[in-house]
Amino acid sequence: MTNDPTAKSDAPDLVRPYVITRGRGHPTREGLDLVSLVIALPGDESPHILDPESTRLLALCRGGILSVAEVAAHLKLPIGVVKVLLSDLMDTGLVATRRPIPTAELPKTQLLQEVLDGLARL
Amino acid sequence: MNFVQDPALWYGVAGTCAAAVYVARSRTTVRNLRERNRLLAEDVRMRDDEIDNVVRVLLPALVETGERLKGSLLLHDELRATPYAQNIETVVEMFTTAVEDARDRADHSAKNALKAAMRTLQALAGEQQLAISEMQNNYVDAQLLQDLLAIDHMNSQFGRRAQVIAALCGGWTGRQRAAAPLYDVMRGAKGRIRDYLRVEIRMQSNVAVIGRAVEPVALAVAELLDNAASYSPPHTTVEINFQTVPNGVCVMVDDAGVGMHEEARQSAARYLGATEPVGITRLGHPPQFGFPVIGMLAAQYGFTVSVDTRSPYGGMRAVLMLPSELLTTAVDTEPAPVPAQRRVARVPRAAAGEVRPAAPATTTPVADEGTAALDGELPQRRRRAPLPVDRTHQPAPTDASDRSDAETAGLMGAFLRGTRSGRVPDTDDKGQENR
Repeated sequence: MTNDPTAKSDAPDLVRPYVITRGRGHPTREGLDLVSLVIALPGDESPHILDPESTRLLALCRGGILSVAEVAAHLKLPIGVVKVLLSDLMDTGLVATRRPIPTAELPKTQLLQEVLDGLARL
Repeated sequence: MNFVQDPALWYGVAGTCAAAVYVARSRTTVRNLRERNRLLAEDVRMRDDEIDNVVRVLLPALVETGERLKGSLLLHDELRATPYAQNIETVVEMFTTAVEDARDRADHSAKNALKAAMRTLQALAGEQQLAISEMQNNYVDAQLLQDLLAIDHMNSQFGRRAQVIAALCGGWTGRQRAAAPLYDVMRGAKGRIRDYLRVEIRMQSNVAVIGRAVEPVALAVAELLDNAASYSPPHTTVEINFQTVPNGVCVMVDDAGVGMHEEARQSAARYLGATEPVGITRLGHPPQFGFPVIGMLAAQYGFTVSVDTRSPYGGMRAVLMLPSELLTTAVDTEPAPVPAQRRVARVPRAAAGEVRPAAPATTTPVADEGTAALDGELPQRRRRAPLPVDRTHQPAPTDASDRSDAETAGLMGAFLRGTRSGRVPDTDDKGQENR
């Protein structure tokens, strides 16, 4: 909204989060967390009149999968607000989310298993 | 001795004549005196009436309204142009001046006191808002967020009240902001009233409001919205629409209330057209700040507001006209991946040659609003290519994100080379280990 970052950081937000979520703090969907991955679904959003924030969110996710935390950082909105927006977009079918793949153990053992199996076949 | 020659007789005759003449003359004199007396009494009565009028009617009216008296000060036209009438005029004039001076002084000191008090409150509301923002950012619990949103809303209303009074007293209207899209200014205004959920902004616009006008316009629209929401049934919506006109943009606020009665409308029109600062002591009990402050901000920043039309929904339509001087093209610093079709959705503002009945501005979402958020200090990352939803994403998501296709190919190549080179000499060992 500004070209001058110092002005931005100093001034309070013009559009407050409760206006963006229409007063809702609870997302319509459970299970979203910081590391849930957000995927923009192919489809036309034109039948839906979206708020600028939702439009930006969609645009962001069109570029690839992002986590909820990353989306919030990009939009500079509180995580909770992003969750509300996301669940709205999920309700309209414009966005899907997925639990993150657990990073530490599971892929490693799977991978190892596959490598082992592959090697075993040799 | 002749009777006629009696001097006494002649004296008597002369005396009688003299007496007769005297009586006749004194009668005239008495009549004249009575007439004069009557006139004088009449004059005194008129003067008494006049002074009575001054004391019982004119001066109390002056004290009551504080406004200069109009029309003739005299009850009796006969006294016009007499020194007495001039004196009455002088007295009333002096009294008027004294009342005006006293009122101006009272107004001035009241404004100063309020201004100082409101500045503190405004600063506190601002600080509180920052604290609330921080909490909203720090905690992810939905119930906590819900409560914080409610507190945030109350704080905004509180800030607005302070801001309105400060603005009316010629004080601080709020922080200087950067230019903001009109849609965001409307949402900013909407968030400052109690019934903000009833306000619907029907369309988006591709114009932005220049920085110095953002707060005043938001404040004026908030007052219009508050007025519209308070004077319409609770289940109805208050609508905001935009209309592009040759020399600017009109913001229309429609409600489905009962409208304003004629007297209120005239009073509002008077405030909205006021060019001089409004006396803070003359806003009624309880003081009505809305229209006076809108009028003041309008005069100060060069936009116009009118409330003389009826809304199609039966209530009132308030129209705020933003001239081109206060507008700029939308602040457009969109991030790269915005789909192209949204960029063509804009309608040039100057293209509208006349007032059109249909919506001139685009109703499709425009990705202008607040898209400059990517210049911040937070680490931000965007993937290079979208991934299909249903495919299992094997590596840890944070690892793969930074790789370009070339890097990925390189890694895969290295992996292949590694396994190939590993296979050749150690096949047996590995195989045995596996078994």
